[in-house]
Parts: sequence; structure tokens; C-alpha cells
Amino acid sequence: MALVGMRERQQETVRTMRKTMTAAIVAAAVIAPAAAQGQSWRTVAMSRQLEDNGEVRVFVDYGAGEFTMRSVDDGLLYRMNLKYDEDKFEPIADFSGERLHLGVESLRRNINISRRQSGSLELELARGVPMDLKLKFGAVQADIDLGGLALTDLELSTGASESLINVSEPNPVPMEKASFEVGAAEFTIRNLANLRAEEIEVRAGVGSIILDFDGRWQRDAQIAVKMGLGSMELRVPEGLGVRLQKDSFLTALDSEGLIKRGDVYESPDFDDADYRIEVELHIAFGSVAVVWIR
Amino acid sequence: MYMSQLLHRAFLVLVLAALTLPLGVEGQLRTIVSKSVSASSSRATLAIEFADDGMLKIAFDGGTILVDGDPVGSYEDGDELDTAWRALLGDAMSRENGALARILDGWAPPADLDHDLENAAEAVEDALENALADLDVEAERRDASVSISINNEEGSLIRLLVSAVGNLGGLVKALEGLDENFRIHIDEDVVIPSGSMVEGTLVVIGGSLRVEGEIEGDAVIVNGTLDVRSDGSIGGEARVADTRIVRNTGEIRGGIVNVLEDEREFERELRQELHDEIRAEIRSDVRNEIRNATRFEGDGFSIMSPLRPVIRGVGGVFEKLVGVFILALLGAGFLAFAGENMDAISETARRAPGRAAMVGVAGSFLLVPVWLLGAVALAISIIGIPVAIAWLPLFPLATVIASLLGYVAVARNAGEWMADSSFPWTAWIRKSNPVLTLVGGLLAFSGLFIAGHVLSIAPFLNVLSTLLFIAGGVVTFVALQIGFGAVLLTRAGRRREHYSTYDAEVAWEDAVRRNAEDGLGGDAGTTTGDGSDDA
Repeated sequence: MALVGMRERQQETVRTMRKTMTAAIVAAAVIAPAAAQGQSWRTVAMSRQLEDNGEVRVFVDYGAGEFTMRSVDDGLLYRMNLKYDEDKFEPIADFSGERLHLGVESLRRNINISRRQSGSLELELARGVPMDLKLKFGAVQADIDLGGLALTDLELSTGASESLINVSEPNPVPMEKASFEVGAAEFTIRNLANLRAEEIEVRAGVGSIILDFDGRWQRDAQIAVKMGLGSMELRVPEGLGVRLQKDSFLTALDSEGLIKRGDVYESPDFDDADYRIEVELHIAFGSVAVVWIR
Repeated sequence: MYMSQLLHRAFLVLVLAALTLPLGVEGQLRTIVSKSVSASSSRATLAIEFADDGMLKIAFDGGTILVDGDPVGSYEDGDELDTAWRALLGDAMSRENGALARILDGWAPPADLDHDLENAAEAVEDALENALADLDVEAERRDASVSISINNEEGSLIRLLVSAVGNLGGLVKALEGLDENFRIHIDEDVVIPSGSMVEGTLVVIGGSLRVEGEIEGDAVIVNGTLDVRSDGSIGGEARVADTRIVRNTGEIRGGIVNVLEDEREFERELRQELHDEIRAEIRSDVRNEIRNATRFEGDGFSIMSPLRPVIRGVGGVFEKLVGVFILALLGAGFLAFAGENMDAISETARRAPGRAAMVGVAGSFLLVPVWLLGAVALAISIIGIPVAIAWLPLFPLATVIASLLGYVAVARNAGEWMADSSFPWTAWIRKSNPVLTLVGGLLAFSGLFIAGHVLSIAPFLNVLSTLLFIAGGVVTFVALQIGFGAVLLTRAGRRREHYSTYDAEVAWEDAVRRNAEDGLGGDAGTTTGDGSDDA
């Protein structure tokens, strides 16, 4: 009998605790969405005429949302259309001589937003004006066409994003270095040849990366890829000389079409190719696939 | 620098005014180099920047219409003016420079607005027209003296000029509300001789004014000097900006008005603010000095030095008690929502502590390899990458939760053991209350640490307190391993390996079964009428 009584008391105690905790959790769940509701959307269109601009250093900061970028030749230095929550963000559009700073910045330090709650930024930059372009994204779905822009330098830094970058037309000016820093992302760059970069650096944390080396090659290039964890696809046009060097811990390499010579993998026509790229891969965990394109 | 720019601008404007007055002010529009059009539910704003550095900002903001920050009227969301303004901005979004200037210049507010709204609409329309009118002409003579007579028509040239050149600082303030019959002198010294009289307002910019005769109206002096001799008189006010009063022995009927008083006030406020900041900084430094003198930490001399061991010891005890409290809350949560699972884990830890400890140690060693290999296995496929992203933080989190669950389950066992013991200080632990047994166990595990902290108060017992800390660490480690192993063995309590001796129903069924096996009928524990036990 004593055992039965003790068990009943135990169960009663547990029932009381469960009720109390359930009530607390439900209250928190009701209050939290109520506090999170309420957005105040603001739409902004900004633009600036081209003047006698020399090389312009362009900084673009965008925390979260959809981002698109193109070139424009309507006599404008830039045109920007923004949609954002004015309670959380404010637009940036500073131009002083050689420096152009665009985008949005958050009004508070810690802001949690979902894709559904985020806004959008459409940016057009002047064709043919020499630019040192620096793009900095947070959680952004980006669709960028760099074709037509005269880029002397390029830096792209993104956190958790889904980015598609295309260089649809050759860069009118040669570029020394293009660097891409990717956190956790699905990241695709098309027509890398059109960048006319002597050096391309990709640093990625976790994700899926596609580097497409199509386009119009006008110079040899050095490619350095550093990646923590994920899959990488290298799309190489036939006729381009490729030398690939891999330094990895646990990485599977699908090197179809490449011949292993010592520590490196080379395309059969590497020595005779008009243009060559040398790719250094530093990947900890993941897979690398070389895909030939016609 | 500022004054030089001001004079240059003013000069350009005045020369232009003289040139354009007979011809009217319509004509070419200014070049817009930058635009910003923004709209939200409560605001609709246009900001444009001109090639000659001028700017214009018109905002319909929460019921107030602002032109360059100054309120010019009010509106209501969705009224005719608001709708017309938003329609204009909608059109402006897609236009640039010339096309943009034309639609802005050509904008007309809706007809038949009520009086207040009509005034506000006119102010907006005027602001647009005045800002867009191209007033930029080259001036060839900087030493020119220009005298202009301006009629009293509303929206007159002076207003147009002021709007067109942007902020003219002191000059704008100085000219506010004055009679618009001006004689203006720029960059030259002016003397009003004795016996002569000037009608209207006399404006001197960048020069000195000596008054020996009479000025009928006001005198405005910007960036110059004022000298009113004993025979001189000014009928109105003497408005000065950046001006030194050399002498004032005559008569100024309206008195001297310093139009830059606001700026002076601002400077005073700034100075006061700076003063407050410095004072706050000094106070902060003094506070820090006092704090250093009374600090508990550090090796240097402090008046609190003798109390350091006591504070540390008591702080350590308090820290442990807080830890017990937090773990007890966590354990209560586990009991409430995963009581069955916790029973299974406790039972396994009690019945097979050695096996559980070995499994726990092995599991601990395998944690990192499992975490990495799992991530790799998921990451080599595109589909698995999102899962890998979740795996990376969630696996360590699950490990921590499993360790805590195991630890509190073992603590609960320890509490039940203490409840069964005959120690007088464990009488408060009742097996009927799982929370009390849990707290008892947690206190037992922390007891060595608490004792160590208490002993650390006495400096000569440091060795003993260190030994107690080591023993406490060993106990905690063993409890964690047993608990973690029990969690793994029972699949987080979902697979019961042993059954609790305290399960009343099982005990009852066992008793009945044993009675039946012994060949005795009836319910166990039934007594006869004479009180003898059937069993």
C-alpha cells in the first residue's frame, strides 16, 4: 500500500509540474509572434547622373533579401530600387567624389528576419566606368550580372546565401584580382573568363559551389579555392588548358578528362592551349567534379 | 570660407536678379544630378540634388508637409493633395534629369482644394518651381554694387533667390520679414552722410556701414562693421550677422538684433555639452580610483584585501548553489515531459553502473569522429548539404542534452539512496517527491565543491580544499559518464533495460504470482477473521 501511495504522489507532483511548464511555454509562444508582427514597407528609387567620374570605388552592403544587379547606360552612375522594412533598416546612398556606398543598414544590431519578411534591392551600375566593386551580403538571394561593368577589382563576401553571378560580357578593363568569400551557400559563377582577372580566389565555408570557366579568355589565370565542407563543380570549356592541384583531407575528386602528372592533374592539351588556368584546391571535406562543356 | 562662399553666391544671385527681373524667371531648368524618391504608408518623400550643389527635399510625413525640413502645411493620408503628390512621385521614380525636372516643374496641385490644403499645395508647387528655375549665371564683376527695388507681390524675387541658392545662412535670417525695398551693397564700405536719408532697407554685405545721416527702414549688415555716429539714426532694426559694432552713439529705434543668436545658442549648448562630458569623465575616473582602492581582485594593496578569501569562498558556494538550482529546474523539466524516459535511464544507471560508465566513456571518445563523418557523409551529395548544415550544430546540442539528462538521472538515484539512508541530515529527502530526490542528489554531487569553497576561506587549508575540488571533479566525471552511457544504452530512455523496484503495479503482480506459485488461493495479504495470516 505504501508503494501505491508513493507512486500516486509522484504522479501528482509530475502532473502539477507538467501543467505549470505547459502554461509557461504556451504563453511564450503566443506573445512571441505578436511581438514579431508588424512591418512597415518603404519603397525607394534612387539614382545619380554620370558626371566626370574617374574610377569609382563602389561598396554595396545588403543584409537580407533579394538582390539583383545589372549594368546601365542611360547616363547614370547608378540606379537603385529598394524595398525594405523602415522599422528595421535604412537605405545607404552616399557618394563623395570617388566613393559610392549603397545598400541598406540595420537600425538595430540583432535582427532576425526570414526570407518572407525580407525586402529587395535592384541595383544598376554604369557601364564602362572603371569601378572597384565590393559587395557584402548577409542572407541574400542574389542574381548578379557583371557583364558590361568595367571592373578593376572585385570582392564579394556573402554569408548564408543563394547566389548566381554571371559575367555575360567581357570586362572592358583587365582585372588584377577577383575574390569571393562565401559562408554557407549555393554559389554559382558563370562565364568567369569574361572577368579578365589574373587571379581569382574563392573561399567558402559550407555549401555547393559551381565555377563555370566559360566566356572569352584573353589571358591566363590563377584560381585558388579554399573550402571547408561541401561539393564543388568546375565547368571547363574544351580547349582551355587546365592544371589542377588538390590539397585536401577527405575529398573525392572526379577528374574525368584530366591526366595525373605527378601531384597535379592536367588537361591533355595543357601545353598547347591558347590560354591556361591553374587551379589550386584546398578542401577539407567534400567532393570535386570537373565537367567539360562544349 | 563660409562667408566667402556666401558672398559669392549672393553676388551671383543679385546680378542674375537684375538681369532676369525684366524678363521674368521662367526658362531653362536646373540640372538634376541625383534623386531619391521614397514612399511608405505614412511618408512620401522627394529629394533632389542639383549640379550646382543645391538641394531640395519635400516630404509628406505623417500629416505634415516639409520643404527642406520646414513645415509648410498639413494633409491627411489619402486626401487629394496626398494622392496627387504620390502620383507625381510614382512618375518621378522612372525618370531622370531633364524629364524628371520637367514633370516636377509642370506639376500642378488638384483644383478645388480647401483653403488650408490649397495653401500647402501652393507652397509645394512654389518650392518645386523655385528650386528648378535655372538661376546660374556668370558674374564678371565682384565689386559691383547692386540696388534693386522689389515689389510686394507674394512669391517675390527675394524668396525665389533664397530658395534657388539654398541655405544662405545669416543672410537668409537677416532678410526674413523685411520690407522688400532694398539697397544692397556688396564688398564695399557705405557711408550715409549727415543730413542725407535712405528710404527702405539698406543691406551691406562684406563691408562697413557708417551712419551719420538717417536710414528710414532697417539696416542689415552681414560680415562687416556697424558704426552709428551721434547724429545718425536707423528707423527700424539694425540686423547684424557676423558683424562687429564699432560704435553706437546714435539712435537705433528698433534696436540691434543679432540674427545668428541661434548659432551662438547652439555653440553655448555645445560648449555646455562638452563641459558635461568632461565632468562625467572626471567623475568616472574618480569612481574608478575609488573602485580600485576597494577592489576584491588583484594582488596589490586594497582595503578589502582581508575579505578576499571570504568573498571568494562565499561566492563559490553561491555559484554552486545556483548551478544546483538550474540543474534542478532542468531535471524537473525532464521529469515533467520525459518522466518515463528518465525512469528508464535512472534504472539502467542504478542496475548496471559499470556497463553504463564504459559505454559513456566509449561514446565520449566517438563523439567527434561521428560528428565529422556524419557531416562528410551528408555533404558529398547536394541533397544532403542542407541536412549537413543542420547536423553541424544540432549534433553537439543533442550531445549536451543527453549528458545533462544522464547526469540528472544519476543525481536522482543518488538522492533516492540518500533518502533510504539513516543520515539525520537527509531526512528532508522524500522518495515520494522526485524533485526533492533530484535536488538531494545534485547537492550531494556538489557537496565536495561546496566544502572545498568553504575550506578555501581559511588560507592554511588550501591543500585540503584543492583535494576536495579534485574529488568533486572525479565524482562529477563519473556521474556524467554513467549518465551518458545509460542514455545511450536506453536510446534516451526509449528502450527500457530494467524496471524500477518501486513500480507498485509490477510489485503487486509479482506478489500475486508468487502466492499462486506457492499454491495459496485468494488475494495476497488477505487475513482471516481470527486475525491469523493465510499465507
